[in-house]
Amino acid sequence: MSVWEIIIISLIKILIIVVIMFLTVAYLVYFERKVSAWIQNRVGPNRVGYRGLLQPFADVFKLLVKEDIVPDAANKTLHKLAPFVALFVAFATYAVIPFGPSVNIFGHDIQLVVADVNIGILYVLALTSLGVYGITFAGWSSGSKYSLLGGVRSSAQMISYEVSMGFSIAGVLLFAESLRPIDIVNAQYGWMWSVILQPIGFITFVVSAFAETNRLPFDLPEAEPELVGGYHTEYSSFKFAGFFLAEYANMIIASCMIVTLYFGGWQIPYIDKLGFNETLTVLLQVGAFVFKVILILFVFLWVRWTIPRFRYDQLMNIGWKVMFPLSLINIVWVAALIMIFNL
Amino acid sequence: MVEKKRKKNLSFLERIYVVEIFKGMILTFKNMLRPKVTMQYPEVKFEPPASYRGRPVLVQERNGVERCVACGLCSRVCPALAIEVQAAETELEKERYPQKFEINMLRCIFCGFCEEVCPEEAIVMSKDYELVFTNREDAIYGKDKLLIPVDKLQDRLEFLRKFK
Amino acid sequence: MPYLTIDEKRVEFNQGQTIIEAAVTANIDIPHFCWHPKLSVSGNCRVCLVEVEKMPKLVIACSTLAAEGMVVHTHSDKTLEARNAVMEFILINHPLDCPICDEAGECKLQEYAYAHGKGESRFEEIKVRKEKRVQLGPFIKFDGDRCISCSRCIRFSDEIAKANQLTFVKRGDSVTITTFPGESFDNPYTLNTTDICPVGALTNQDFRFKSRVWEMSGTDSICIGCARGCNTEIWVRNNEILRLTPRSNEDVNSDWMCDKGRLNTFKFVNANDRVDGTMIRENGELKKVEWSEALVKAAAGLKEFKSTEIAFIGSSYATCEDNFTLVKLARSLGVNNIDFTQHILPGDQDDILIREDKTPNSLGAKLVGVKPAPNGLNLEGILRAIKEDKIKALYVMEEDIAALSNEWEEACGKLSLLIVHATNHNRTTLLANIVLSASTFAEKHGTFVNFQGRVQRIKPAVGTEEMDRALDGMNMSRWDKFGTKFDRWMQGHKYDAKPSWKILSLLSLQLGGKIKYEMAEAVFSDIAKTINEFNDLDYDVIAELGAQAKIKQTLAV
Repeated sequence: MSVWEIIIISLIKILIIVVIMFLTVAYLVYFERKVSAWIQNRVGPNRVGYRGLLQPFADVFKLLVKEDIVPDAANKTLHKLAPFVALFVAFATYAVIPFGPSVNIFGHDIQLVVADVNIGILYVLALTSLGVYGITFAGWSSGSKYSLLGGVRSSAQMISYEVSMGFSIAGVLLFAESLRPIDIVNAQYGWMWSVILQPIGFITFVVSAFAETNRLPFDLPEAEPELVGGYHTEYSSFKFAGFFLAEYANMIIASCMIVTLYFGGWQIPYIDKLGFNETLTVLLQVGAFVFKVILILFVFLWVRWTIPRFRYDQLMNIGWKVMFPLSLINIVWVAALIMIFNL
Repeated sequence: MVEKKRKKNLSFLERIYVVEIFKGMILTFKNMLRPKVTMQYPEVKFEPPASYRGRPVLVQERNGVERCVACGLCSRVCPALAIEVQAAETELEKERYPQKFEINMLRCIFCGFCEEVCPEEAIVMSKDYELVFTNREDAIYGKDKLLIPVDKLQDRLEFLRKFK
Repeated sequence: MPYLTIDEKRVEFNQGQTIIEAAVTANIDIPHFCWHPKLSVSGNCRVCLVEVEKMPKLVIACSTLAAEGMVVHTHSDKTLEARNAVMEFILINHPLDCPICDEAGECKLQEYAYAHGKGESRFEEIKVRKEKRVQLGPFIKFDGDRCISCSRCIRFSDEIAKANQLTFVKRGDSVTITTFPGESFDNPYTLNTTDICPVGALTNQDFRFKSRVWEMSGTDSICIGCARGCNTEIWVRNNEILRLTPRSNEDVNSDWMCDKGRLNTFKFVNANDRVDGTMIRENGELKKVEWSEALVKAAAGLKEFKSTEIAFIGSSYATCEDNFTLVKLARSLGVNNIDFTQHILPGDQDDILIREDKTPNSLGAKLVGVKPAPNGLNLEGILRAIKEDKIKALYVMEEDIAALSNEWEEACGKLSLLIVHATNHNRTTLLANIVLSASTFAEKHGTFVNFQGRVQRIKPAVGTEEMDRALDGMNMSRWDKFGTKFDRWMQGHKYDAKPSWKILSLLSLQLGGKIKYEMAEAVFSDIAKTINEFNDLDYDVIAELGAQAKIKQTLAV
């Protein structure tokens, strides 16, 4: 393949992914409103379009035409920059998520991933840690105590849970012997899914993922009863929409990561034994990936509308006294498995 | 550290919390499958019971005269100062009638004190909850909007006689 | 002094006082309807029954003379039982129409029924109905149903107004009040009966159904109807005066005021012909302009004339503060021609309250020095000088000078410059070059000196554009306290007017003068400093009931 071919193929992949991302994020918001409605015995949005399906566009349009307010006390530059940092980080992470095995289109062998880098997981870890900058900038630059507290909480929370998250991933990496997401998926061939082999690691990872994405029960940075709106108290209009989208984009990333690391990515156990042709297999596998992600997303929403927010001290206790030791135990457990069964 | 006292000591399963989380999630999941209670408002309208406190209205007798004698008690008792009454003399036996009776629906808090204090059963809370206006002037309801024939208010009047 | 014991409290009394009078001096409240401190004892309502030890039966406190060593109980079981019974008895035929009755809120029967009544009646028969809406006199409507036959109104017209016009007719529960055949209840003091009527039987036709009493704010003031200066209370709602009531002052008006004063002295405040903002005559028509422009024009106009060509007219309608500032301004300009006029209606005077002098402050104007300087001209001299073209500019404060006579009207027309302070449009403003809108007595602080030489204060009750009800500490009703500019009850008109002393001090500023008053109180303290008769007086000393100026008897008007 020539350089141009690679560039063109990458651009097409980026375009497809960005469009899909925006759409999925928009419909994730819709989905969340529906799920919350169902849990509360309500109907949810059903006015805009068929069954309210155009609701996300109405929401976005409303946000765009609202007045953009920048507080007098704000640090103007950082205040404007913050939502873009959050958005950029959220979207850049998609680059390394594999959606399926390689496919052959028009004679090109194309990997269903934007950037097949061999340190993909490190890249994800690095970017999600950067994501906290968006929130911290927003909190600090707004010139409001609520925003500042939200920002500070967010960074403290990120740091605490990043540790157990990293150790949880280490367990998966021990199996895969690679940082490449595709290798990790391939290593979970058949029923060798990490979720089965290392359930403790799975739990610590999921909990950390919730914390990293600031979702309930870990949404202390934007705890409404205490902090008005947390770090985005002073944001409105398009910039608020930025944070809003970033939060949901982060959720999708987290789900993709969970699927990739623990649910075998696009794998459908033993599908190659069924003797489908290649195209159908790939389609089924991409479908399987999407299905798994949607399931995890549903759990995200389900948890949000079930469990109340933790207190700040509880958050820190769980992070350092429970999750961190558990993730260490997980590594020992995985190491022992590898030693004993010589996997 | 101060020992925290609970009514009941938590069991181990309760303390690791995970099980309790699953219990909660099962509960909410069951709720998702239950019938919905939402009313599709503009098409389906809520028909309030007699005890409902909608917007306050003035009772108009069958002969077209309002019951109100403009005593101003509703105006005095109104905690939000929503009611303004101007009395005037009439040739009718009641001597006194409200020349002007205005309720500022932006101020009204639907507490029903006016109804409770009224010595003539002349102001009652209706079932009307659809209050829309686009400027402050429209929010001030005069006698034209407040007077409602007594036949339409039987429900509430009976309720008041029974329970007031 | 002899003493008796009321409710275990030792009360001293003068020989000849009744129990209720002794109780009043000791601030012990004994309920009463027919008894009134200023009227003779009638003793027909029986609600003041009290228990006196060693007396076989309860006695009425209003007609039982206090005696040395008497022990009175006003709250014993027996008394309370009797009081409840009397209340129930009085209420038998009293209609339950408080929602309609104007007296509600200041009704003695209502208050006592609440405090001493049982709240229920055993009377199941049909109440006796009597005539309603009887026009007793020109200003009074009588409601026979509500009357509890206390006879206060009858005694008032006999004893205070000295006009035997009212009487009881019929007997038992048909008893009612009416005028003698061929008579109308039309003496000059009839409306006082609406104040002393313990129920809503007698009501003020002028105020009828206009407002509930609790919706208004009350402000202490002085009646401007004549030189008596009866103490009054101004009742205001939505920045509009709705009624005046007399205020008790033993030295001036006791508890009374005349009907003319009550009905005719406040309506001009909200009348259609009020001057609202300053005006300048251009091409023969008055045009509304900003205060600053009018004051600059007035100052420039005055500067064009020599001091001998200018004359100032003060006013016996204006306060001492206004007249004093006018005198000061005239002196600062070197003008000697200054005077004011009294408005005397010969013969319209009685020995109760009404005085011939129909202005509230003739004596005050005289005392603060509104009189020609040694070589200056008095009112007649000014008129003559205008005719002879010697005086070309006239500065008139709150006086309808052109209405005095045709001569004056012609003279005003001849002037080159006529500046007028006016509250309402009148014949003088028709001729004026500059009209400065003056606050009325109900819109400013100030003092009047009545014919006895008593200095009495007026206070603002109506807000103007420069007097804010909340910021300037005026009395406020509940509506005033919680209203916003969006509430219709707060949208009563506020006139663009200033008190005359303030206008004069602003004008003095334009003329380069030194009169700089910010408050009426400051003007008065200057008066107290410079004028002997007002020495040692200030607003706190004058307080609610006024203070005597140190006048020689000969000065009295």
